[in-house]
Amino acid sequence: MEILQYTVRKLISGIPLVLGVTLISFLLMVYFGPDKTYELLGKNPTAQEIAEVRTQLGYDQPFLVRYVDYLRELVTLEFGNSDSTGEDVASLLARTIPISLALTGPGFVLGNLLGVLLALFAAFYRSTWVDKAIMASAVVGMSISFLIVIIAFQIIFASSYGLGWFPVRGWSVHSFGDYLSYVAVPTMAMVFVALGYNTRFYRSVLVEEMTRDHVRTARAFGVPPAKLFYKNILKNSMIPIITRVVFSIPLVIISGSLLIESYFGIPGVGKITYDAIISGDQPVLKAVVGLTAILFVLAQLLTDILYRAVDPRISLK
Amino acid sequence: MSARLPRAAPAPSVLALLAIGLSIGGCGGTGDDKDTPPRTPGSRGPAGLKVYRHAMDQAPTSLDPVQAANVYANFVVLNAYDTLFAYKYLARPFELKTNLAADWPEISADGLTYTIRIKPGVRFIDDPAFADGVGREVVAEDFVYSIKRHFDPKTRPQGAWLWINRIVGLDEWKAAGSDYAAEIAGLRALDTHTIRIQLTKPYPQLLFTLAMGFSAVVPREAVAYHGREFAVHPVGSGPFRLTSYDTSQVVFERNPRFRPEPVDIAFEGYDEAQHGFSGVAAIDGRSPPFLDRLEISFIAESSARWSSFTKGDEVQYTSIPNEHVDEVLATKQPVTLKPAFAEKYHFFAGVEAGFIFNAFNMDFPEFGYNDDPERERRNKALRCAINKAYSWEQRNESFYMGLGNIFPGIIVPVSPEFDPGLSRDSVTRDVAGARKLLADNGWTPENLPPLVYGANSSVSSRLIFEQFRAWMKEIGYPREKIILKRFATFGDISRAWKQSQLPYVSKGWGLDFPDAENTLQLFYGPNSSPGSNDANYRDPEYDRLYELSSTMLPSPERTAIYQRMNRMLIDDCVANTGLARTRIYLWHKNVIAIPDREIIGGFFLRYVDIVDASTGTVKGGAR
Repeated sequence: MEILQYTVRKLISGIPLVLGVTLISFLLMVYFGPDKTYELLGKNPTAQEIAEVRTQLGYDQPFLVRYVDYLRELVTLEFGNSDSTGEDVASLLARTIPISLALTGPGFVLGNLLGVLLALFAAFYRSTWVDKAIMASAVVGMSISFLIVIIAFQIIFASSYGLGWFPVRGWSVHSFGDYLSYVAVPTMAMVFVALGYNTRFYRSVLVEEMTRDHVRTARAFGVPPAKLFYKNILKNSMIPIITRVVFSIPLVIISGSLLIESYFGIPGVGKITYDAIISGDQPVLKAVVGLTAILFVLAQLLTDILYRAVDPRISLK
Repeated sequence: MSARLPRAAPAPSVLALLAIGLSIGGCGGTGDDKDTPPRTPGSRGPAGLKVYRHAMDQAPTSLDPVQAANVYANFVVLNAYDTLFAYKYLARPFELKTNLAADWPEISADGLTYTIRIKPGVRFIDDPAFADGVGREVVAEDFVYSIKRHFDPKTRPQGAWLWINRIVGLDEWKAAGSDYAAEIAGLRALDTHTIRIQLTKPYPQLLFTLAMGFSAVVPREAVAYHGREFAVHPVGSGPFRLTSYDTSQVVFERNPRFRPEPVDIAFEGYDEAQHGFSGVAAIDGRSPPFLDRLEISFIAESSARWSSFTKGDEVQYTSIPNEHVDEVLATKQPVTLKPAFAEKYHFFAGVEAGFIFNAFNMDFPEFGYNDDPERERRNKALRCAINKAYSWEQRNESFYMGLGNIFPGIIVPVSPEFDPGLSRDSVTRDVAGARKLLADNGWTPENLPPLVYGANSSVSSRLIFEQFRAWMKEIGYPREKIILKRFATFGDISRAWKQSQLPYVSKGWGLDFPDAENTLQLFYGPNSSPGSNDANYRDPEYDRLYELSSTMLPSPERTAIYQRMNRMLIDDCVANTGLARTRIYLWHKNVIAIPDREIIGGFFLRYVDIVDASTGTVKGGAR
């Protein structure tokens, strides 16, 4: 009951956040975003045709009317059709989001799990060559441009110039085997880059926890290292870890990975979003921004509930 | 955009789908689930399918013919839909032939009335839009409806400019509210297979427009059924039917109902010396399409496109990225491949049907028309000086690997009216001459006007600008007076052109049909902004000649007028022009094709065939 009440309270308190995000983003779209009109015109347009396109796009409506329409669309989840392709936006997202999830999911999970694992090693062997080697590798991963990593991995693992083990690009997935072959190189690229950031973050969290009094006391009492790490360090470090992981989820779901999807020819939501941004496809952008804001509210809620699960001292009141 | 998805997923399903997406529901992919062939080009998979995997550098945004405005959309649309006319596969210069039209039109003596009969028995593909889901016969009224759609603002059309003020009653029909039930005097179906078009004045390019994707024939009930999603759900009578479509790929399968029309390779322009290497003679006497499955991948990143092509089993066709030109080519003039590549791939090198150029906006009194005749005379000298300082040779070397074709004026090399003997002075750099011209006309670094150069935000555009600024500096134009104005998107820079906000317009133009009228109209006064005349050039004599030639059939007299107009533009220094790029395409040797997309668009794909690796032959294809 406590959780239910908290959930309702939290969802209500999330409304101003959603309103704020949608208002600011819609202001940016309308007044600073690309003007779609001139992409939808023929080669030799007349002034009348320009006016007709603007009417079709709703650009001739007052801002307030358009924003209220946006809110209505957000409530009904009926975002209309893409101004670029004409496809129903709900269908578009329903088709692309699962692909992006399937694409980024393994990299996201592996990047975090391996990050925690390497951070544990680095923290346990703090200031030794193991720690230094892991941290040096992390810095390397963070320092190389994602674009370079993608191209290099594509050449090394997929092209005829390299090993040629995996498809260079595409997403013709009809079996689990296909899925593994298409997702392997993107996952390796994502993990390579994410590992650097994750390892550094998690190590600092773990090191801070290791220096606490209760850990030193437990060690003095002769608690075995494995138990010490699991029960006294890892569990107590879970709050920042949960925060980082859960708040990454909305971006993984909605934003996908633009570079990965572009270079590997994967029809996910990241590419759709990017195309919508550069072409000013407002129905798609409105849906993506609005849903991302809602997901952040839900992520915040989930985070609070998980805090309580890992630390019973935390109250949801 | 997948055609296999339900027509309109209920909106409330979005959040649920977000949750479902946490599984690997995305594994559905974009292809056909049952009979996706193995990635071994040239061989037959278990299902014995012939598959061709094409690559393009951009994706079309819409597959609705009324929005087939760019080469990518036009390329794809022509495979799903039929047009009345088409271009012969191999004939160069380009030649029209009948396609859905049963024969050439009967044209009245005054050139104003066209009567066109269409082939009987041609059927649209099966679609839920039709009664019982079975495609019905294509009738003349479908063509009438398809052209009407360009004059209905609700369809967001992009091709009306081809027929505006040309067809009796069509503009009035739009002004009256685009009521499809209303008849148009100049656009009628006389019976189920006969179309009558009445023109307001002779329009020699009319048949060219009826070979463009814009004029493709669509069924009214499919447009009504699919609504705006018709743009991702093509229902045509072309050689292929859509299987799936998304941002990375479009997949077609053979239209089993496509009319059997055996290819006469000689009629199509086959020349053994020119085309023999490709093996296209093997399609003679057979009815296209020859492929069971056609996949067109949209790969913007050149490195990915190249890797995919050279992998051998992903895409079978590509252009050569600039960074690989030296690796692949043995010589550039003429284009030949190094042995390692010649052994594996066929290639085609041809001049693009279009060009790149820069034009002054004559509405800017600093460079163009001016109330003061003396200043206007000096402005012309300034434009000519900038033109003399412009180095097409350097631009060609820097950005087009020295493969471009530099030519004077705006009649491009692929136009039949191109004059190879025209003086090249206007495209030959002359720094001393430019300096003298400035000095003789009183231009000094102090009084030269600021020149705002509009460009998109790409790195190459920035580099082209910097090169331009360096050339201007050489003739004494202060560096700070050559100003770059950047635009994030094509829509933004297009708005600046259409609103006449830039004094210097740098752009490219792709020919819609092989007739110099298509480029000469770029400087026709009534086409001024927001029309295609971004230079806002208005010369009464030029306009008179344009109007005179616009009703003339191809003839030496018309060519002479075109060339005179071309010289007027050169003499007025209204534009720095131009360069037509050389297109070099590579394709795998198991693919039988001449994949030249210039003007023809994607029409050639119906003629593509695949060698059976097991027998080394092409026999036993789809038909």
